[in-house]
Amino acid sequence: MSNLESDPARFTATLDDREDHAPGDEPQEAAGHWVLNANIGLGFSVVLTVAAFALVIWPIVYGPAVAVALVVLAIAQMGVHLVFFLHITTGPDNTNNVLALAFGILVVFLMVVGSIWIMDHLSHNMMPMDQTMQMQR
Amino acid sequence: MLGKLGLSAIPWSQPIPLITSLAVMLILLGVLVLITVKGWWPYLWREWITSVDHKRIGVMYCLLGVVMLIRGFADAIMMRSQQALAIGGPGYLPPEHYDQVFSAHGTIMILFGAMPLVLGLMNFVVPLQLGVRDVAFPTFNSVGFWLTASAALLVNVSLFVGEFARTGWLPYPPLSETAYSPGVGVDYYLWAVQISGIGTLITGINIVTTVLKMRCHGMSYLRMPVFCWTALASCLLIVATFPILTATLAMLTLDRYVGWHYFTNTAGGNPMMFVNLVWAWGHPEVYILVLPAFGVFSEIFPTFSGKPLFGYRSMVVATLFICIVSMTVWLHHFFTMGAGAAVNTFFGISSSIIAVGTGVKIYNWIFTMYGGRVRFEVPMLWSMGFIFTFIIGGLTGVLLAVPPADFLTHNSMFLVAHFHNVIIGAVVFAIFAALEYWFPKAFGFRLDGRWGTAAFWFAFVGFWVTFAPLYILGLAGMTRRLQHINFPEWAPWLYVSAAGVVILILGVISQVLELVLSIRRRDQLRDTTGDPWDGRSLEWSTPSPPPFFNFAVMPNVEGEEAYWGIKLRAIETQQLSPEPNYQPIEMPLDSPVGFYTAFFSFVFGFAMIWYIWWLAIVALVAAFAGFVVFAWRDEHEFEVSVDEVARADRARREAREAILARLARQEAAP
Amino acid sequence: MTDTGLPASVAALRRVREDPHRLGHRPHDGREPVRGIGMGTTGPAHKRIIVGYGFWIFLLSDIVMFSCFFAAFAVQRDATAGGPKMADIVDLQRVAIETAALLLSSYTCMLSFAATNVRNLLLTQVFLFLTGLLGLVFVLLEAWEFIDLANRGITPQRSGMLTAFFGLVGLHGVHVTAGGLWLATMMAQVQVKGFRRHIVHRLICFNLFWHALDIVWIGIFTVVYLIGSLS
Repeated sequence: MSNLESDPARFTATLDDREDHAPGDEPQEAAGHWVLNANIGLGFSVVLTVAAFALVIWPIVYGPAVAVALVVLAIAQMGVHLVFFLHITTGPDNTNNVLALAFGILVVFLMVVGSIWIMDHLSHNMMPMDQTMQMQR
Repeated sequence: MLGKLGLSAIPWSQPIPLITSLAVMLILLGVLVLITVKGWWPYLWREWITSVDHKRIGVMYCLLGVVMLIRGFADAIMMRSQQALAIGGPGYLPPEHYDQVFSAHGTIMILFGAMPLVLGLMNFVVPLQLGVRDVAFPTFNSVGFWLTASAALLVNVSLFVGEFARTGWLPYPPLSETAYSPGVGVDYYLWAVQISGIGTLITGINIVTTVLKMRCHGMSYLRMPVFCWTALASCLLIVATFPILTATLAMLTLDRYVGWHYFTNTAGGNPMMFVNLVWAWGHPEVYILVLPAFGVFSEIFPTFSGKPLFGYRSMVVATLFICIVSMTVWLHHFFTMGAGAAVNTFFGISSSIIAVGTGVKIYNWIFTMYGGRVRFEVPMLWSMGFIFTFIIGGLTGVLLAVPPADFLTHNSMFLVAHFHNVIIGAVVFAIFAALEYWFPKAFGFRLDGRWGTAAFWFAFVGFWVTFAPLYILGLAGMTRRLQHINFPEWAPWLYVSAAGVVILILGVISQVLELVLSIRRRDQLRDTTGDPWDGRSLEWSTPSPPPFFNFAVMPNVEGEEAYWGIKLRAIETQQLSPEPNYQPIEMPLDSPVGFYTAFFSFVFGFAMIWYIWWLAIVALVAAFAGFVVFAWRDEHEFEVSVDEVARADRARREAREAILARLARQEAAP
Repeated sequence: MTDTGLPASVAALRRVREDPHRLGHRPHDGREPVRGIGMGTTGPAHKRIIVGYGFWIFLLSDIVMFSCFFAAFAVQRDATAGGPKMADIVDLQRVAIETAALLLSSYTCMLSFAATNVRNLLLTQVFLFLTGLLGLVFVLLEAWEFIDLANRGITPQRSGMLTAFFGLVGLHGVHVTAGGLWLATMMAQVQVKGFRRHIVHRLICFNLFWHALDIVWIGIFTVVYLIGSLS
């Protein structure tokens, strides 16, 4: 009872090498675009990394704020890597890539923040483990 | 040379595991001898063991799952009978053995019974429903299955060589640390679960990629059958949370093997971190199992009601809602650990909220039946039994989500009754419904529904007789995992519960009988149409069983319920669309790499458990070498000729034309 | 039909009328949908996209695994059990060199990918080799650090904090080592088989893997070493 037919021209399961890429992702294009991205990415990364180390070595910033500044710099550098090295925003299927990334970040966020929050409350409410051990003796 | 392994590893003094494992080995030997005598090895090797066909792998997953369900059920029988016999006495299982039994029961049922069945169903059904020829990474699919299978073997080896964990299905430290569990039991658990976890992760990645990137032409997201949506959500959870399990168990492994201090109760270790991490996996795991179960019911209700699914889009939204929210509720497994009011309140509320998504689904299924022509076939019986059972299980879950109430019922038999109520009521019922529903698609003949109906009623009644008393016992104050019972007033309920197990045994026997009798009568039960249930999604457009390439021509979907629309048009116009222009098809080549890798993973796991370091290194090197050799091959695909494609499709078209003609005659007759 | 020439409000109104909830079936901007990326109704994606996407999903799961080790480190940061604190064991100079090596290796990895795109075998191999060399420098420095600490009696068996430290940093080191093994295999494959389609796909995956390791290292040098050295 089926008429599961389609126009064979639309079906492109057999691809030659020329077709094996999506539009906007031409493998044979000049390398310049990639090299340029690599250079920009490296430039940003070097600046951000040096800034992070400098913050620790020299007292540039108000002491208690250093940790926050470091985290900000790290997140910025991760963004630089994602954009310039991993190309997640410019790929032909970037919507799905970015959605998957967002999902991953959500999970990581839940894991890390959730664990810290929960364990912080636990250690606040519970007797420290070494005291528990002493009671057992 | 052999590490800790010696003759003393075999439990000579314990008759139960000894006799059981001897019996199992004899059966296995018998099967192997039979295969050898009949000369089936080449066929098995060629068509099954090295196969990368998603349908074959799905079937093997299901077979593994069913065998492990029976193994886990045997443990359950022992637990119920022990508790019924050990009222005021020692019973027949000594504590160290009883502890292994309940640990093995949980581990096997969840990770080696339910998980393979769910993964098997997704593997088999999703590509067929999406109108594609295989999953995204067929060879990895085979690797994933064989890793799971070798891990299951590892768990069962523990019955005869050494021991299994005595820590419960989640090995909480510090009990599971070397100081308190010096034996190999926890190591068996760790390596088996670790290996199967990798297999599961591979399958998860595979299904996610297949659903997001390989749907056939016209199959936009909102035209996908709900089962594919739930498979996607479930596999997203696999990808997101199985690494948490891997990490947690790796930490425990480091504690046990090299004396680190992640979870020890000395030197700054933090046992509660284990509980936190393991439930961050453990709760989503429940939804990994139950979401595909919801998907199964979302296929069965429309099919057997003759109506489209009520509220398709709300179903999709509810699925994704559950997928996300399920990762924010894990603390309700340890409300009593002392996190305090703020934390408990947050997780209590989120645990209650997640029931909303499920509630939406329940109403949608009920409204799907409303006004439909409901056919009470076996899959539909399981589905309606599910609605009844699951609502009660869900409500007790909402009760447990309230922290003050949980303080009373935590770790009691009430909890045991609750999670069996949801897992059996949803996952196991869905599995049996799905096996009955897709069996003709996989094997080309239907199961004889009479014994199936009996199996359902035995299981349904047996379930309630077994677990309703446990609710009462829990409220009466009975904690879980008791090896003997000192309160004679609990005896009646424990006897009732044990009687329920007898009814469940009858159900299992009926299910086995159904299978055996149907296989013997397969010629009468043959499904020549490919569409035995008057189905609505694309898998029913293929013959039963489908050819290895699934679709001679890739489907072109034009609306929701892809196959239903095509079918209606064909009946209306009294003809199939014209024969297409067949093209040769590229299909992935079979490969033994999955079997090979899994074999060495098993050897590696076994060597690590028994501290046979040289063997572990040999196995690792061999596995890596195998991968390099595999990666070196040049041919990845082979071409199916136009003739073969055309021959298969013309046979299918003939069958479909015969039905059209029969329908026309029925119309014409007064 | 395009909406060029119409005021934006009219176009928007028309879109709402045609598809009130914007639930798909049709791209929003009226352009032809792109084929071969697996979106919408355009059918299966090309193999290259499928492979890359599947590997991307794997990487996300890998990063979730790292996040557990990060969480463990965060929780056990102060569990020194009377032993050395984080600030006592950080050698900023070595960390800086390690960071530089890994960042540069990411850069050369990218350059090798650029060379792959123009099918230049020699440059691909040269940059892959440099990537591996920098990775080796990183791993050796880390091994040196661990041996150095062990000689001072600072081992993971000493305290919960040290366990979490060695676990997190060691896991990353294991990943880099595994990446190095993979890289060696890839170089052999590229040399023998040239730029076949599936070899290029694997190079894409390797590229993603190596960059992801660098991203994880950013987290490690910030949270473990730099913030650790503050107190």
